[in-house]
Amino acid sequence: MINAPAPLLDVRDLTVTINRDGKLVTALDKVSFFVNPGEVLGIVGESGAGKSITGAAIIDLLVPPLKRTGGTITLAGTRLDQLSPKAMRSVRGGRIGFVFQDPMTSLNPVITIGQQLCDTIQAHLKLGGNQTKKRALDWLDRVGLPNPDVQFKRYPHQLSGGMRQRVVIALALCADPALVIADEPTTALDVSVQAHILELLRDLHRESNVSMMLITHDLGVIAKMADRVAVLYAGRVAEISPVGELFNAPKHPYTRGLIRATPMPSATGEMRLDQIPGAMPGLGAVPPGCAFNPRCFRAEGDCRATIPPLYHEESSAFSCFHPLERVTA
Amino acid sequence: MTPVVNTPAAGPVRRSRGAKLLRAMRRAPGPTLCAIVIIALLIYAFVVPLFSLNPFEFSGMSVLDSFIPPAWMADGSPDFPLGTDDQGRNLITAMAYGMRTSIIVGFLSVTIGLVLGGSLGLIAGFVGGKVDAFIMRVADVQLAYPALLLAMIIDGAARAVLGTERSVGTAIAIVVMSIGIAFWVQYARTIRSSVMIERDQDYVSAARITGRSNLSIIVLHILPNVMAPVLVIATINLGIAIITEATLSFLGIGIPVTSPSLGTLIRNGNNFLQSGEWWISVWPCLILVLFVVSVNILGDHLRDVYNPRLRGRS
Amino acid sequence: MSASDFLILNHVSKVYRRNQSLLERLKKNETGGTKAVSDVSLTVHHGETMGLVGESGCGKSTLARLVSGLMAPTSGEISFPPNAFGNKPRLQMIFQDPYSSLNGRWTIEDIIAEPIRVHKLRNGRTAVRARVDELLVQVGLSAADAEKYPQEFSGGQRQRICIARALAGEPEFLILDEPTSALDVSVQAQILNLLRDLQKNLHLTSLFITHNLSVVRIMADRIGVMYLGELVEEATSEELFHKPRHPYTRLLIDAAPDMDTSDRSLHPIAGELPNPAFPPSGCRFHTRCPFAQDICRNTVPPQKATETGGMFRCHFDLDLSNASIFPPAAKVKTA
Repeated sequence: MINAPAPLLDVRDLTVTINRDGKLVTALDKVSFFVNPGEVLGIVGESGAGKSITGAAIIDLLVPPLKRTGGTITLAGTRLDQLSPKAMRSVRGGRIGFVFQDPMTSLNPVITIGQQLCDTIQAHLKLGGNQTKKRALDWLDRVGLPNPDVQFKRYPHQLSGGMRQRVVIALALCADPALVIADEPTTALDVSVQAHILELLRDLHRESNVSMMLITHDLGVIAKMADRVAVLYAGRVAEISPVGELFNAPKHPYTRGLIRATPMPSATGEMRLDQIPGAMPGLGAVPPGCAFNPRCFRAEGDCRATIPPLYHEESSAFSCFHPLERVTA
Repeated sequence: MTPVVNTPAAGPVRRSRGAKLLRAMRRAPGPTLCAIVIIALLIYAFVVPLFSLNPFEFSGMSVLDSFIPPAWMADGSPDFPLGTDDQGRNLITAMAYGMRTSIIVGFLSVTIGLVLGGSLGLIAGFVGGKVDAFIMRVADVQLAYPALLLAMIIDGAARAVLGTERSVGTAIAIVVMSIGIAFWVQYARTIRSSVMIERDQDYVSAARITGRSNLSIIVLHILPNVMAPVLVIATINLGIAIITEATLSFLGIGIPVTSPSLGTLIRNGNNFLQSGEWWISVWPCLILVLFVVSVNILGDHLRDVYNPRLRGRS
Repeated sequence: MSASDFLILNHVSKVYRRNQSLLERLKKNETGGTKAVSDVSLTVHHGETMGLVGESGCGKSTLARLVSGLMAPTSGEISFPPNAFGNKPRLQMIFQDPYSSLNGRWTIEDIIAEPIRVHKLRNGRTAVRARVDELLVQVGLSAADAEKYPQEFSGGQRQRICIARALAGEPEFLILDEPTSALDVSVQAQILNLLRDLQKNLHLTSLFITHNLSVVRIMADRIGVMYLGELVEEATSEELFHKPRHPYTRLLIDAAPDMDTSDRSLHPIAGELPNPAFPPSGCRFHTRCPFAQDICRNTVPPQKATETGGMFRCHFDLDLSNASIFPPAAKVKTA
């Protein structure tokens, strides 16, 4: 990665622990990745893998007993992990926008959506009243709400789920952030609405060239949206690869297992479903060595003894002693 | 636990009941202390009367020993560590008897409130519709009256019906009933709202599809799941019921003097508070406060532990 | 009615009455309420798995509750033609949420034994326990799990327990309401494979409800597609995916993103899901349909039978066999 541009977001050895009755349990174990300017990094994993914790840790929104205990987070040269809470507040919503899974809980139910937009714009951009309102209306239009003038005065509960998520996206983007973290932005939505929201995210991404971290459990969403993908397993990075490589020639056995376990028609329309035995270990129950070793068909002695480091190979990186050969998956 | 294929992510290791209790106690020293206080007071109230004569029957009285202050004061006597009352009763024995009555009355009235309110709440929550509306409106009307006033009204009505000639047992029964009835609403409301949540859970649907009758669904499935919050309320209400009984007795309409409760003792001692014999009312007061506060703290703690929102998902 | 008919739904509707205010009731204003299921007719044959797909608010879960008898239809009838024994078939249901579908105060043994005891399928404690152990092994757990409580299991394991409980009732008919929607991908695959094995070995007739087209494609022999309370298309699994007849089916198939990274186009369905309480007039899909014409706005489309035994509700006989026939930009109404 010598010629690569300087990454916008650089996360190194991010570690998050949970204090459980005085016992420290590792939720995120030395997670490292970066996001290039204008890039969409997909973060995929099953529930409990640490995807959402990663997103929350970057903007310092971890809820106790979760606590960041190590690692560095650098956004365009600024060490976010060293910022004061006050400085962090201006980064949040300003330089980093956030789209949550549930649009109902991420909007204030007693304030009109127009006012919420204006508040966010004013907090980060210091514009005059008229300009603020103009910008808010403009954003409502950009995210595809019909009749922005009417919608401006409406309350969140008066909108459908899809429309609410559009407002949340407007809120995340209205202050011209450098990075947007979208945590399961379409999981709460129906299939037909999901495609709308994904299309909107893609369009806005193309227009503004904002970098994006797209956190999801849905490999279909990843395949359509991400440029590069980080696969998390039990709080560790299993593999980071460009999206085409990840789906067509995965390195980590878990990645391939996940892809094959997803019920999807293949190109020939034939359906197959290969399960991974067992289940992901819970917090604090991660086996020694590679976290995936009890479920892995390639596991050997070294996998049970040592945690495999992240090997870099061309454009991808994987944490496995016995990676899959580069053949078609 | 035997190793199991296919279940590597099995739940937490199971601990024995004793170990669990010990762990819970270490985590909450305050409530543990309260539990110890409660147990000590229970032993005091139920064991002391076994070894001493009832001072409220004439044989146990000795007027010569009246108004003796606690042992450490000038006129104190080592025979009566906490002093004696106007009739020469040893306060330690008297309070044990009083405490016993208080606890029995409190426990019985809570049970009556629980059974009455619990069944009405179950019916209201499970049946719903007009039955629910009727029961809950009655509850609303009752809530418009202060519980103490209501207990006094019921007590008065029972006296009017049964006449003034009545045994100690009847008097206690009347007090128990009036306090129990005065407090059913809270149980009914709590149970009703829990039942309405549980009623729509899928495990109830599964039992219904399997062919269980409504009655067996209520008894076998719903009841065990709604009892925890109610038992917590019952614990807290035990304190309130004891206080209510003490208030009734203090006002002179509760338990007859021949079988006194803590309230009766306090009322009696109140007569001498002005003349310097403070110990006659202060000791029963303290012991009442100690018991009720302990019960409340324990109840609060149980409520936190059994918070339905935290329950189940470990 | 043929001999192989197992379950027949005849013009079944279910109306959820809105909680009316006192004033509305005094005015005797019959507002009608939400028609969650509207005039659904469907036949399930012996030994087949009937799939039902649709988005939220399409009435698929209500239909499951109607068939299971948890709810009574407002109109229409649901009947199980008498089988050889002349009894109503035993049915069991598997629910979406593996947390709320198990009574947390009961041991796994009691949970699984409940249908056995209610239906008196085994007599005596040891026989019941032996059957419970057998079922636990059958669903991939172990006999030692019988003494535990539901809280000690993960979501996937709980769903296995639910399956064991359903099988304990020795059902002739199994209703599965989104059985894997709450589970992670790798666990979902395990449960689907387990269910597929059971289908094969036990010759169950079942109704499989899900919002996930890929899942239903794997599991079902025939599939019904629902939209706003109506059954808009019904066909064999094979045919539905290769030659859908209703525009909604086609659009729904295309809307879910697949894992093909070479074609990254997205195919949203125009517009939003209308409020099920106020469905559009005429064809309920006309507000989002690229083929909509005047007739669709005013006239309810008839149910048309296909030559292969399927059904669809559309005014037109469209050829929709090519994937992505509408480029995303072409939201213009085709005349």
